[in-house]
Amino acid sequence: MAATQTDRDAKKSGGGGLSLEMKMLLPVLALLAVLSLFPFFYIIWMSLNTVSLINGISFEFAGLANWARMFTDEVVGAAWARAALYFVATVGIEMVLGIAIALLIHELVWGKNLVLSLILLPMFMAPVIVGLLGRFLTDSSYGLYAFVLRETGIFESDILGTSSSALTAVILMDVWEWTPLVVLIVLAGLASVNQYVIEAAKVDGANYLARLRHIVAPSIAGVVIVALLVRSMDAIRYFDIITVTTNGGPGNTTKIIPIRLYETAFRFFDLGYAAAIGLGMLVFSILVATVFVRILERRGLAK
Amino acid sequence: MTTSSTSGRKLGKQAVLYAILVLVLLWTLVPILWMILSSFKPGTAQLSPTPVFFFAPTFQHYAALFTGGNLGSYFLNSVLAAGISTIIAVTLGCLAGYGLARSHFRGKQHVAFWIISTRMAPIAAVVLPLFILFRYVNLLDSLPGLIVAYLTFNLPFAIWIMNAFFADLPPSLEEAAMVDGASRFQAFYRVALPLVTPGLVTTAILCLVFSWNDYAFAATFAGPSSQTLPIAAAQLNTQTGLSWGQLTAIGTIVVLPMMIVGLAVRRYLVRGLTLGAVTGE
Repeated sequence: MAATQTDRDAKKSGGGGLSLEMKMLLPVLALLAVLSLFPFFYIIWMSLNTVSLINGISFEFAGLANWARMFTDEVVGAAWARAALYFVATVGIEMVLGIAIALLIHELVWGKNLVLSLILLPMFMAPVIVGLLGRFLTDSSYGLYAFVLRETGIFESDILGTSSSALTAVILMDVWEWTPLVVLIVLAGLASVNQYVIEAAKVDGANYLARLRHIVAPSIAGVVIVALLVRSMDAIRYFDIITVTTNGGPGNTTKIIPIRLYETAFRFFDLGYAAAIGLGMLVFSILVATVFVRILERRGLAK
Repeated sequence: MTTSSTSGRKLGKQAVLYAILVLVLLWTLVPILWMILSSFKPGTAQLSPTPVFFFAPTFQHYAALFTGGNLGSYFLNSVLAAGISTIIAVTLGCLAGYGLARSHFRGKQHVAFWIISTRMAPIAAVVLPLFILFRYVNLLDSLPGLIVAYLTFNLPFAIWIMNAFFADLPPSLEEAAMVDGASRFQAFYRVALPLVTPGLVTTAILCLVFSWNDYAFAATFAGPSSQTLPIAAAQLNTQTGLSWGQLTAIGTIVVLPMMIVGLAVRRYLVRGLTLGAVTGE
């Protein structure tokens, strides 16, 4: 402790320039600033302009026109509403399934590691491949899942081409890929539940549900919230699966906000307006990040 | 309650557990196995209206990807873009993560918040300004452009996670080394760094997985000379319509390496994937 204390004193008094820590930190932060703050201020500037790509790039100052338009645009409003539905459905199902599967794996006596390793596999896959594989499995002529659903009479039309089933299908693809992450996080929480307390409760005659409610649930609550936040953040980050499966269709049934942004920018080349939409999304992820950092601080991890 | 009936009940309970988990495993593994199986299926079996499980395996789809599909250069682009951005992110992340963990200054929590929110920023909102900026500096359709794009999420990630791993080490170890005559940098390089090797490897692998798996950045920035595997896979589908054989082959090539390296650091994954919030086993 003495050494760092003197380092700090030296820095405060301004003697000997920057400490090694700051020399290691500052140049990298400068690079990160170029990579993150520059685009950040640039997207704000874009949102205040009409940006056109005809004959090179041209900016025409438009004031708050893009912003005013966004708050009254029903198409964007609908995309946010669908994003909310998609978000609640994917993250909700992933949390419930993930917690349930983690509780099951935690009780295993034999083969725990093997089962967990196999269950984690989808998580490492490129989302774009998950989407393409989903298309393959639900292809109405050659798809394995389409075949099973048809033969059992559960669903007979084109899965990704029908409004009701397309949304369900892309939600399930996301659930397939990311439930394993929730399983992994919740299992880490379960591993830290105090075994002596569990044994003592057993001796006192508490059944599984009672132990779950009074001992396990309170001890894994923090970890469950972390899982929820990590999934929330990624749910708005990635849009690959929908891009390569339905790209927002059929109709607009799967057109969530990032898909709408991408199409506004790179299909309609309305880049200034897309920038305003993008800043709206950024506000959402900054809110998630705020909650996340609060929780880290409470858990004493953000030192 | 006798011991034998207790163990009998336990056995029964385990049997139910395995039965449910077998269903979970089927849901998880069938798509992956079907993809790998289909990549070795001859074209005729591929286009059968009923699923074919037994066939004479063929490498024709893999061969077609490499001969006609230019897969070699896409593979190289993917390796270079993901690999180089990972090396840069981990090297700089180590330095800055250590610096952050061991320094105390006013506003430190604001710097930390800035770093984490950079990592969490929605990709669609990052791609947009970068696209215009890249046009100005001629970084569109180039590997350096992709590497810079991947650094926008890999660098804040590496700084943040390495900071978490270094913060776990008691500073007393480095102080003891310095009492024994090591310089401040040697204390970092010789004492602290070797102790976070698992963290370093995990960070590197996660950076590699995130950038290898990227679609949105490469789809927007990459062109003919910098196309990566995920883009090649997506285009295969739109260009040739029904080339499921080649599609499942390229899918297998994209996912298998990441599954292998991902599972290799399974113990530390939870730490990395929760951005340091949850410590594993």
